[in-house]
Amino acid sequence: MDRPRQSARRKLLRGFLGVAAGLAAPAIVRAEGPTFRFGLTPVFLNTDAELLARLRGWLEGTLGRSVRFVQRRTYREITNLALVGDLDAAWICGYPWLANRAALALVAVPLWRGRPLYRSYLIERAGGAAEDLSDLRGTTHAFSDPDSNSGFLVTVSDIISLGHEPEGYFSRTFFTYGHRNVVRAVGSGLAQSGSVDGYVWEALAATEPDLPAATRIVARSEWMGHPPVVCPRAREGTSEITALRRALLSMSDDPDGRAALGLLQLDGFVPGRENLFDPIARRMALLDRAE
Amino acid sequence: MMRLPAIPLAARLPIVSAAILGLVGLVASQAVMGALVEMQNRHLRETLTARIDALALALGPAVLREDVWETFDILDRASGAGGRLPTLRSTVADRTGTVIASSHPDTDPVGAQLAPAIDAAVPVADLSVSGKAAAVSVAAPLLYQGQQVGILVSRVDLSALLAERRATRATLLAGNAVAILLLGGIGYALIRRGLRPVAVLSTHLSGMGDDPQPVPERAFPRDRELARLFFTYNRMVDAVRDRAETDRRIAERERYVSLGRLSSSLAHEINNPLGGLMNAVDTLRHYKDRPDVAGPAIDLLDRGLRHLRDVTRAALQTHRGDHAAAPLSAADFEDLRMLIEPEIGRRAQRLDWRLGEIPEERGGLPAGPVRQIALNLLLNASEGAGAGGVVCFAAREEAGALRLCVCDTGPGLPASAVARLLSDVPPVNGGGFGLRLVRDLTTGLGGAIDHARRDGRTEIRIVLPLREEA
Repeated sequence: MDRPRQSARRKLLRGFLGVAAGLAAPAIVRAEGPTFRFGLTPVFLNTDAELLARLRGWLEGTLGRSVRFVQRRTYREITNLALVGDLDAAWICGYPWLANRAALALVAVPLWRGRPLYRSYLIERAGGAAEDLSDLRGTTHAFSDPDSNSGFLVTVSDIISLGHEPEGYFSRTFFTYGHRNVVRAVGSGLAQSGSVDGYVWEALAATEPDLPAATRIVARSEWMGHPPVVCPRAREGTSEITALRRALLSMSDDPDGRAALGLLQLDGFVPGRENLFDPIARRMALLDRAE
Repeated sequence: MMRLPAIPLAARLPIVSAAILGLVGLVASQAVMGALVEMQNRHLRETLTARIDALALALGPAVLREDVWETFDILDRASGAGGRLPTLRSTVADRTGTVIASSHPDTDPVGAQLAPAIDAAVPVADLSVSGKAAAVSVAAPLLYQGQQVGILVSRVDLSALLAERRATRATLLAGNAVAILLLGGIGYALIRRGLRPVAVLSTHLSGMGDDPQPVPERAFPRDRELARLFFTYNRMVDAVRDRAETDRRIAERERYVSLGRLSSSLAHEINNPLGGLMNAVDTLRHYKDRPDVAGPAIDLLDRGLRHLRDVTRAALQTHRGDHAAAPLSAADFEDLRMLIEPEIGRRAQRLDWRLGEIPEERGGLPAGPVRQIALNLLLNASEGAGAGGVVCFAAREEAGALRLCVCDTGPGLPASAVARLLSDVPPVNGGGFGLRLVRDLTTGLGGAIDHARRDGRTEIRIVLPLREEA
């Protein structure tokens, strides 16, 4: 645990420097319009201060206005803030977006390894021998968030598909409110199994290899639409959302944008289509039927 | 009991000082260690109380909700922190003792029973660093808004405190050892330096053949008090030498004194027969033609002259140096009798003379000193017995020793004379050196003197051990 902590400290330090640089450079542009409120959920490694500084620096430079990242502990809080119009845009999971598709419009979808797709991993502690979900029955299971597709919906819908009731399938479940935390919980033995975003697990392998190394992938889900950037439908078509979409789609063309994408381990953003999220919709339907 | 070899004074004092220093160091070290232990215990309790209070504040809401992840996250982030008192493991259980989360889930998995660990843990107030236990478990209730919501059991690493204790003990021991060695060495050097004058005095005091030697002035110490001591010592050496010289002269004189005392008796002894001898000569001159008259006269002349020859020889042998070392024989005692008899006769005294077996030329006793001892005692007895008194003399060999006994019927020896005979008190001016000479000669021959007064007689007994000749 020491190496990731030291690494985090170094990043934090770099992050403070980055924040300082970011605060100094866009001081003029920040005064050109109202602050752009951008909601973030733990769909990515939102603990990295350097990443946030980079992202804000690029976004403020591109939008020509100051940007405020709004972070909450749960997906639900961010989704609700977007629904009530307290956010201009938010990067949320496909599951809450589909659940609130009537109120939230798709802005862009990230490209990971060349595709706007990701999948969910079912993991156990390294050294385990489980072959599938049924081998993990009766274990203590760590979910990410009750509104997370990869960190909750996929596993619960798989349990239903296996013909079991989600309640009582595991001996005990708890939410960690972060995909990184799921990896930590399973790696430390706090939980014997966990449901995690495959993209986050792979990203951690590059930034904090000890964390995923302490776990083992038992099963991978089908490919599904990557957590998208959405906006309240009321703001769809406004100049700031148009500017945001344009910025995101051309992010890989901008040096600062590329740097931020590098930290995110993403390739860029594409407009995306709703059918990318059909697998999630099917799992939602499965859950709805079970309820 | 085995006696340890004597340790020189110069080493003994530093050793005693070092031992005292070591003892003081030991007591001081114990006090320091005691204070350190008390300080560590207080530090341990205060630190853990503060840490548990802070943890309880952070954990309260999570424990109340039984939030596994948040509880773990807080414990996980708190573990490893703690500086010199790192937390090895922290586990939180609900009020029933069921584990909510632990920083080390492998040891305390979620949902396990923590009761055994809780029972084995120590309340913070009773905590102390003792023995060699490198870690200790403490238990504390988790309070939230005044209500107990759970219990926290923390295992704390005490190895830093124990290491500190060991390091302090080692430092104290090393410090004490260095101080003892250093101060002991300095003490040895100082005392040795301080005792150097004493060593000089000791060397000169034991001197050559136990003859104290004066210390040359260039060897005097610079310290005034010590210099005065050396000066006094030198004066003492001079006094001792003067006294030895005086004693020698007195002894010499005493020999002549006794000779002088005898000379009048001898003159009388010679004079008495001289009248008879002169008459015999006249008789021979007038009756040289009458053999019946001349014969007895010639016999008388012969006896008288022989007597004179014997007396003269005895006196000569008593005072002639070359005879002093000759072996003692019975003839020596006969000579003495001849010498003392005129003095006895002069005082109209009676001489009781008992001569036992005196082996000829045996025992290795020199004739001179023994004759001088006997003569001095006889003269002293004759003087003490007074007119008409009795003087007795006995000599015999018994049990490997020559035993002499001289007694008289006088009033007895005065205390000063007894002291001169039996002790080393200096002789008082005015006489009595004869008895001191008896003592010196007897002591020189390895003998012993006994003085007694019984039945109106004064008895002086001399025992001289015989030395077997090779």
